[in-house]
Amino acid sequence: MKRNAFLLGAASGLALVGHSDGFFARALAQTGAPNDDRVLVVVYFQGGNDGLNTVVPFGMPAYYKYRPTLAVTQNDVLRINDTVGLNPQLKPFKDLYDKGQVAIVQGVGYPNPDYSHFRSTEIWETAAPDKYASTGWLGRYLDGANMPPENLFNAVAIADVLPEVLVADHVDVAAIAQLNGYGLTSDRSKTLGRDEFHAFVADNNVPFRSPYLAQVASIEDHAQRGAEELPKLVAGYKPAATYPETPFGHSLALAAQVIGSKLGTRVLYVQLGSFDTHTTQKATQDRLLADFANGISAFYADLAAHGDDKRVLTMTFSDFGRRVAENGSRGTDHGSAAPVFVIGGGVKGGLYGEHPSLDALDAGNMRFTTDFRSVYATVLEKWLQRPSSGIVGPGFAPLPLLA
Amino acid sequence: MISHMAAPTSAAPAALYRPPGPLDLATALEPYAGPWGVRQAAHLYRRAGFGGSPDDVARATGAGMRASVDGFIHFAEASALPAQPQLDDDRPNPGQRQVLVAAAQAGASPQSDAAIMEARKAIGRAHRDNMIAMETWFLDRMIDTPAPLQEKMTLFWHGHFTSAYQKGIPAKALVNQNNLFRANALGNIRELTLIVSQDPAMVRYLDNAQNVKAHPNENYARELMELFTLGIGNYTETDVRESARAFTGWGIDRDYNFRDFPARHDDGSKTFLGKTGNFTGRDIVEIIFTQPAAAALFAKDLLNFFVYSDPEPALIDAVAALIRKNDYNLQPVMSVVLRSNLFYSERAYRALVKSPVQFVVGSYQLFGIKQSDNVALGALRRMGQILFLPPNVKGWDGGSAWLNSQTMLTRENFASSLMAKMGNAAWIQRATTSMDPSAVSRALVATILQGDVSPASTANLTGYLNGNNVSALAALSGENADERIRGAAYLTMAMPAYQLA
Repeated sequence: MKRNAFLLGAASGLALVGHSDGFFARALAQTGAPNDDRVLVVVYFQGGNDGLNTVVPFGMPAYYKYRPTLAVTQNDVLRINDTVGLNPQLKPFKDLYDKGQVAIVQGVGYPNPDYSHFRSTEIWETAAPDKYASTGWLGRYLDGANMPPENLFNAVAIADVLPEVLVADHVDVAAIAQLNGYGLTSDRSKTLGRDEFHAFVADNNVPFRSPYLAQVASIEDHAQRGAEELPKLVAGYKPAATYPETPFGHSLALAAQVIGSKLGTRVLYVQLGSFDTHTTQKATQDRLLADFANGISAFYADLAAHGDDKRVLTMTFSDFGRRVAENGSRGTDHGSAAPVFVIGGGVKGGLYGEHPSLDALDAGNMRFTTDFRSVYATVLEKWLQRPSSGIVGPGFAPLPLLA
Repeated sequence: MISHMAAPTSAAPAALYRPPGPLDLATALEPYAGPWGVRQAAHLYRRAGFGGSPDDVARATGAGMRASVDGFIHFAEASALPAQPQLDDDRPNPGQRQVLVAAAQAGASPQSDAAIMEARKAIGRAHRDNMIAMETWFLDRMIDTPAPLQEKMTLFWHGHFTSAYQKGIPAKALVNQNNLFRANALGNIRELTLIVSQDPAMVRYLDNAQNVKAHPNENYARELMELFTLGIGNYTETDVRESARAFTGWGIDRDYNFRDFPARHDDGSKTFLGKTGNFTGRDIVEIIFTQPAAAALFAKDLLNFFVYSDPEPALIDAVAALIRKNDYNLQPVMSVVLRSNLFYSERAYRALVKSPVQFVVGSYQLFGIKQSDNVALGALRRMGQILFLPPNVKGWDGGSAWLNSQTMLTRENFASSLMAKMGNAAWIQRATTSMDPSAVSRALVATILQGDVSPASTANLTGYLNGNNVSALAALSGENADERIRGAAYLTMAMPAYQLA
């Protein structure tokens, strides 16, 4: 069903090659139902962020017992209530929280946690702890959400490799690390002439039949046109905030540019890292949390200046949290549950879920209190307005953090 | 559990990429007696190898089907290739181990940060160097081997019985595992399964080293059945638990050799797939291979890898019967498949997506380049196929999973970068001596794509070579003419047919 739609879309795209740049994307952005302009941004904390030193349980005495050198002192914590507060590096982020624009879900994890970066990240990305799924949870959302097949930018990963969370069966997702360098490195294609080159790569009038031919031709066409069109489509955007001069800051600036250029993009992916702080954690995590807070603060200021802040929801995730007890090298090893931030859009700010107990650990790790699939179900049902059971499985009730 | 499969909008029909048209089951596995030419010879080279050089394909065209398949099935001597890469020691030395063990223990007196960082950095550096050395070694073997099917099967097994350069597994152990795949490339599948079950890298990768009588670890037992031999639905959770007990005690010693530790083994009675006894891992493998589902799983995987995607159940049954008839010896099975009507049918032709590894290796072979480089390794990473680092125990999904706009741009950029080296290829020199644009474009599409393009594309290519009537090829200086021809070859490699095997 969807496959047919995909191929038809590809065919119609081919027929229109040579029209003015960006014709499709712009036309698409101007159509659609009232809520069709909602955007989800996922931020991946690569490497496993230490949740305990992000949302700090300063009111739990065990925290100071387990973290003799790494604990954030009670004086330094940016207090949320009498038990928890934020790492001081998150000051600009705390300002957003105080304005009611941040929901913090505590103790998010899944049963039988895996401590391998690869597998645990894959579990978070596929929302499938019990099997090896071949699509990401947002890929499955895209597959089911009637994305216009001719739009080249239904979803955009700001990354140089397509992350598994956006791997879909039927929707081609662009992976763009930065505008400079996206696309063909060779200008050989240009000397041929644009239309002829498209005709080449999308040639399906060939003396063989292959079940993959139409898809290859269509994706090659997507790739070519996408690489050509994107810089022009986003050229008119002027940022209205100063982003950190970091890879993460640049990624968020590009995300805002894509969103503000109204290409019909529904999902974006941005990453920050590496949080894999086995040794001398403080310096690394401080730098990354500050980068996150400054970046997100600039991002929402930029979006607000363009009138886009209300339609953009941002959610964070990581490989896993880290072990409760610090190790002997002022770092932490792989752990389990950690907080998830949901920012902007129609979020009802505040704390959600329970902070896991530090007195009833499971092999040195916190027991999760909210299943990550409930957070996904919330975003799917309340923000993206799609049924979640087919995407993350049945039985995950949405949390009340979105209207 | 299989959550997304339940979604009506994304439920993919099982046969999404099965070629159109009917399967003639009665004659499918009979020997092919149809026309034999460059089209068939190149097809054989793409499937049983990685594409081969134009000279390879020409030789196979002249030799005919029977002799060509024999050449693939009976491996040529490959001992001139390096048996292993140069590796750094990636296991902590006693001093480093002491530092790191102490550092990992909470409450221990903190090690000096400098010592910890130094130990970690040294190991990290060795790890990175080894990763590059292993990838390059395997790629170069694939590129230059006189026994292409042996390397193709090694890649198949690497994606089937997966292990990865993670979890502290030494590079040496992964290289040894790779050489086991090579030594058993077309050997007996049951024997290879037992060998893999006792392979140190696998024992570590799927945690059988932690599988002991007091605390059974089911990871290996489960994946052995789910992914490696039987498939979901052909065993129960009880079978997983019981077989895990049978595998208890199979571990690795300090030197990373396989060792059977009797004291860790649960020698009680187990009931597995309807049989009861004091089974060991060896018995479990034997019992698994009495199940028809085992032959069916390998039949399906081999058809998906060598013939076409989503093969018909009846075809899987026919190949499974062939596997059982040959008692799981793969060489006679592949001999039948590679000579079959099915294999040379229009339905199988260009019906597979080239994996990134095949794209890279085949392109090197096409232009006679013998050694891979960092450009190739970077391209493979961006295309999603890192040798010795499959994404998970399931291996690479393959097929449409290789296709998205990022991977496609990477293919084209890789092809473009390769053009800097293509001038050494003798066939290019021969094909371009005339400087006649239409002769050159015909030669390019014939050699690179066996003519699998539309007449319009050939005409476009001629137009490009002719400078679109503004700067004729023959009028260009040597360097500029060269560049024009490189451009034309690059454009030919960007065409859809080149993405398909």
